[in-house]
Amino acid sequence: MATLELDSVTKVFQDGNDEIVAVDDVSASVDDGEFLVVVGPSGCGKSTMLRMIAGLESITSGTLSLADRVINDVKSQDRNIAMVFQSYALYPHMSVRENMSFGLEESTDIPDDEIQQMVSETGELLGISELLDRKPSELSGGQQQRVALGRAIVRDPEVFLMDEPLSNLDAKLRAQMRTELQRLQDDLGVTTIYVTHDQTEAMTMGDRIAILNDGRLQQISTPLECYHKPANKFVAGFLGEPSMNFFDVTLQDGVLRGDSFEYPISSDVQANLGDTTDLVLGIRPEDIELVESASGDHDFETVVDVIEPMGDENTVYLQFDPDAGEDAETLIASTDGFTRVPEGDEVIAQIPEDAIHIFDRATGDALHNRSLDDAETIDLE
Amino acid sequence: MSDTESRTDGDAAVTARIRQNLEQTTVEDVGLYVVLLVMAAFYLVPIESGLVTSFKTGTAVIETAPFAPPGPSGFTLAKWQAAVDALLRGMGNSLLYAVPATVISAVVGSLMAYGLTIPNWKQAYKAPLLAIIIAGIFIPYQAVLVPLTQFWSQWVELTSLLSFVWALGIPNDYAGIIELIVTHVAYGIPMCTLLFRTYYTNLSEEMIESARLDGASLRRVYRRIVLPLSGPMFAVVLIYQFTQIWNDLLFTLVLVATESSPAAPVVLILAGLGSSLEGQDFALRMAGAFLAALPTLAVYIFFGDEFAEGVAA
Repeated sequence: MATLELDSVTKVFQDGNDEIVAVDDVSASVDDGEFLVVVGPSGCGKSTMLRMIAGLESITSGTLSLADRVINDVKSQDRNIAMVFQSYALYPHMSVRENMSFGLEESTDIPDDEIQQMVSETGELLGISELLDRKPSELSGGQQQRVALGRAIVRDPEVFLMDEPLSNLDAKLRAQMRTELQRLQDDLGVTTIYVTHDQTEAMTMGDRIAILNDGRLQQISTPLECYHKPANKFVAGFLGEPSMNFFDVTLQDGVLRGDSFEYPISSDVQANLGDTTDLVLGIRPEDIELVESASGDHDFETVVDVIEPMGDENTVYLQFDPDAGEDAETLIASTDGFTRVPEGDEVIAQIPEDAIHIFDRATGDALHNRSLDDAETIDLE
Repeated sequence: MSDTESRTDGDAAVTARIRQNLEQTTVEDVGLYVVLLVMAAFYLVPIESGLVTSFKTGTAVIETAPFAPPGPSGFTLAKWQAAVDALLRGMGNSLLYAVPATVISAVVGSLMAYGLTIPNWKQAYKAPLLAIIIAGIFIPYQAVLVPLTQFWSQWVELTSLLSFVWALGIPNDYAGIIELIVTHVAYGIPMCTLLFRTYYTNLSEEMIESARLDGASLRRVYRRIVLPLSGPMFAVVLIYQFTQIWNDLLFTLVLVATESSPAAPVVLILAGLGSSLEGQDFALRMAGAFLAALPTLAVYIFFGDEFAEGVAA
């Protein structure tokens, strides 16, 4: 168990004469016993980053250190790192017991009877004791997943790496394993890096999440901080389902002018924006209130276009100007499941000023994030 | 009572099914089966003829049709007895080089293919090596006959190099057996490597990576993961190589030459078996051919299941 440190780690793939930068100058520090979730869209470099930590890919530049020891050139088999693969990668010709003891036999000098003892204990911990003598082909997907997990746990490595380990499970089992993995990691206290593209896993599992896009680290922070105080437009749009509404706006005399609306902002908010005038206004669907009648300059007349009932909540697609047809700017709002809004009706959408985010349109950087005065119970640190 | 009833029900169902099947049989179906039967007969008649001929006395061979059974008066096991007497020595000699050559070329091929696929060595080193190996498959036997005799008679003279072995009382003709082993291994490696390589490129990459992360060195990954998973491909390669080497006449002619040699392989003896100035002894030739083919047949039966699995892979 140890701190894992990435310092300006970069990976460049050569494709003929082209250079493809898969991971670009990523620096991060994962504390002893921390659960870090790395999340991002497909092809963002998150798996490459994990494979570099595992030693399965070489590091083009930068340093990777584990417990203050640089391990750039240490071979995979000498790193004392265990990895759980998406495909589980079990050894098909070995029983579950042999699968789990393989790592200990290869990497340690522990005598056979002790190894068997450790395998049995881990089997009990994961509830797979009765499966130990079966072959992987005789197990269900969920059971194979447990064995893959057990194979990593029994080695008691310094770092766990997990590459989308739950993505081959059905939704129910995935939710169940999510909680169980968290509990296990808590009990074992092993530094864990968990790669996923599923934002539910990202939000719920990690102590911190690292968001990657195009090989660059966008933000690394607690899940709630990333959600409420995104560093840039990418993070704001990536986290949250349905995702944040964005509108291109221009700042003029304290008013944000968009194609379909004008949104006056207070001097406090304006102070955060500096000289930038080409901006993007962001608002999360759940922060939009649907009200009966307009009462202020943050209320806008809209028409309900489509409504998607989810049971516990409704996702409502609102149009500012229904006459604009296809080009009409849409606003997505989430309301609770009992609010009935018929399609085609006119409603007033209230966009509270304390919930808005404002981004620099050129760089995507967040200039102003929502205030959290009304949410002091949320512990962001 | 319900028992009998259900049985009659069952019978009725079966009859109904048969009737239904018959009704659905078309002229095309009938034609297909006729063609298949004719083809099966076409391929099986020579084998059947050979087998019945091998049990016939000299007169029965002349008096009965080739594919007709010998009948009680024309039946004899003498030809088989003669074939066993003549060929047993040769079969021993053939096994002496066919088995080691098969095993060595399979093992070397497997190791070579492992090196060319699993370790992440630079493609710049792997590709030329693979090209050379593949080129080896296409060298015809005829092209190497002269260099081969040159090599074994002038450069590497085993008869003089291994003089201490012959001093033990082993006839120095057995140098030919060692030459056959080395030659067949060299000739078999390219094909074996190619077969194993195809198999290894299909192994799960994540599984190998997982083993590396589990602390296994390259050597241990081969020993504990790749080799145990190679069973089906070993069956394919062993059958292929064994049949190839056992049946090869060209190299044995060049390297051992005479059937009177104590080290003569079965193919050399078989070539002259049953032919003399008085004419051809067909029954003896057939019995000899079947006897000589038995080991290759045994290999197929022995590794049949793995072979099917390997071919499917």
